[in-house]
Amino acid sequence: MKKSFFLTFVFAVFMLVSCKKPASYGELCVNIGYSLNGKALVTDSLCYCNEAGNEFLITEIQWFISKMELLEECGEWVAFEPQFFYIDTNIPENQTLGIKSIPVGKYKTLRFVFGLDEEDNRTGLFTDPPESEMFWPDLLGGGYHYMKLNGKFLDAEGRLAPMAIHLGIGQNEDCTEFYQNYFTVELPIDFTITETSENQLDLTMVIDNWFRNPHTIDFDEFGSHIMQNQAAQQALKENGNDVFRIGKPTDNENNTTMENGNRFAEKFKNVMQKAAPKPHFWTWKSVKERMGSPVGTTENRQAV
Amino acid sequence: MKLNKNITLVCGLVLALASCKPEQNHYVPTPYELPQPAYFPSKNNIPADNPMTEEGVALGRKLFYDARLSGRDGSDGIRNCSSCHHQGNNFDFSGSAGLHHSVMPLVNLAWNHTGLGWNGGVATLEDMVLAAVTSPVEINADTSQVVKYLQKTNDYPELFEKAFGSRDITFINIQRAIAQFVRSLVSSDSKFDRYLRGEEQLTEDEMAGYELFCTEEGADCFHCHGGGGLALMTTNLFYNNGLDDEFNDPEDRSAITGSHWDRGAYKAPTLRNIAVSAPYMHDGRFTTLDEVIDFYNEGVKNSENINPLMHHVMDGGVQLTDIEKAQLKAFLYTLTDETFLNNH
Repeated sequence: MKKSFFLTFVFAVFMLVSCKKPASYGELCVNIGYSLNGKALVTDSLCYCNEAGNEFLITEIQWFISKMELLEECGEWVAFEPQFFYIDTNIPENQTLGIKSIPVGKYKTLRFVFGLDEEDNRTGLFTDPPESEMFWPDLLGGGYHYMKLNGKFLDAEGRLAPMAIHLGIGQNEDCTEFYQNYFTVELPIDFTITETSENQLDLTMVIDNWFRNPHTIDFDEFGSHIMQNQAAQQALKENGNDVFRIGKPTDNENNTTMENGNRFAEKFKNVMQKAAPKPHFWTWKSVKERMGSPVGTTENRQAV
Repeated sequence: MKLNKNITLVCGLVLALASCKPEQNHYVPTPYELPQPAYFPSKNNIPADNPMTEEGVALGRKLFYDARLSGRDGSDGIRNCSSCHHQGNNFDFSGSAGLHHSVMPLVNLAWNHTGLGWNGGVATLEDMVLAAVTSPVEINADTSQVVKYLQKTNDYPELFEKAFGSRDITFINIQRAIAQFVRSLVSSDSKFDRYLRGEEQLTEDEMAGYELFCTEEGADCFHCHGGGGLALMTTNLFYNNGLDDEFNDPEDRSAITGSHWDRGAYKAPTLRNIAVSAPYMHDGRFTTLDEVIDFYNEGVKNSENINPLMHHVMDGGVQLTDIEKAQLKAFLYTLTDETFLNNH
């Protein structure tokens, strides 16, 4: 017993020593990408389909990552600055998150908060645009939207309808209780930071997964004005468990690794064959032309 | 040898005196401290080549109100900036100014980073001065005439020297001075500001109106027009708000971006002093706040171009009751800043 305690002690000391900060540091670029229906997202022009059968396009995604950390092989978490990243599909330059002064070495996990946690998410944290444009009214819990995912979809009656999936602090009906809806993401990596500025890590948001597993999100129900709908916030939060993965958006092109993804890809393929053989994805123009036709109706989607 | 020494000494003294002379007469303008309310953005748009000075702002103010800015003597219909930007109307125009779009207010523009005008097509305030002075439907002046005219006056050369270090007037310095004055137009003392600072409470109706303003299930104004977390009361971004479902305006936001999706989109103006900012919308189609509220309540039109944030469009609008509409209006009145409307 004494011997094993001694060995554990020696091992712990060894680990502490081995995790001492090295004298050298590297820089890291985290490249943000978006995957939807097994392809890299194209905003404003392509029409996609979700698990519930809604046809939609995305105009923009604006969101926060915070408290990004890397886990060293020795088991020590390394945090770094800046602590907050605002990411906006309208701003190409902020699709790359630049991080300086990371100790060189091998890392095995990437961890971050999707959105902002309760420690940080307070009104006044950001006073300048574009971050300040994400503010979440104090009456609804304050702070900032974790994410705005905006677009258009064809509703159950075949009408073109706005889609505004906005995540942030939830609240009860009379706004006397508030619910934190951010979540922490941990992704395994096998990554070495070298003493250069060339270290690149790709992080992809798999947009399909916001709308499935475990909850199938129908935009007719949860596609807009959900800031005051904690049931929608909770469902999307729970769906967020597998929204992020390491890699480029095109890494799994036409071959999403998830079971639902495979089923969905097949379903989508059928829809395309039936409704729009060319191009591979429907263009929004083609959807517009079809508006008023039965293609966008609930009946038709069910038939598909 | 002694003579040489004396000559050198005299030359040195003359040189020293000559080199000192300009510095002794050089007027150093006083830096202007732009007010910085705590909840306002920290980043302003003051350009490095046009820092604000007390003298520059004062000169800009004089030019803003001076009909001689037209470069004419008045017999042929002179105009200046204040012809269309009336302080009592939030530095905009209460009627139709005969322009393609209605006049936009000049409020808190020191913190605007998205271009000027309803489509954001003018990059800076300095550029806006040039555009307004030369536009045939605005001041309609010849810049070289303006410069010549002002140069001949008794007062302006000295004011330009104090502000910009030279009695020789240039049009770029005219642009800079007026831009400095416009940047100094800061509204931050409305009742709502005092509420944000904890100095004054809103009435029950005003507070109910603020709740409607800031909630998706209410009037849902905040996404485009800010609130406590975005106290400029605008994002300064561009939206198609569902005014129309057909778009024929060649000067909407799409004229700048070239994007089909920006047809019918215009800048969300600040709601500061909105009660005195009629007429409303880019084309001035509404003359009262009631008409505006009624539009957002039940008159919003759907189109493929409507901004996704206008998601109440599927009901035609936000569907407030008459009491709620009155409460929302009461809140909008708390954005009136009497100090701003009277002190410049």
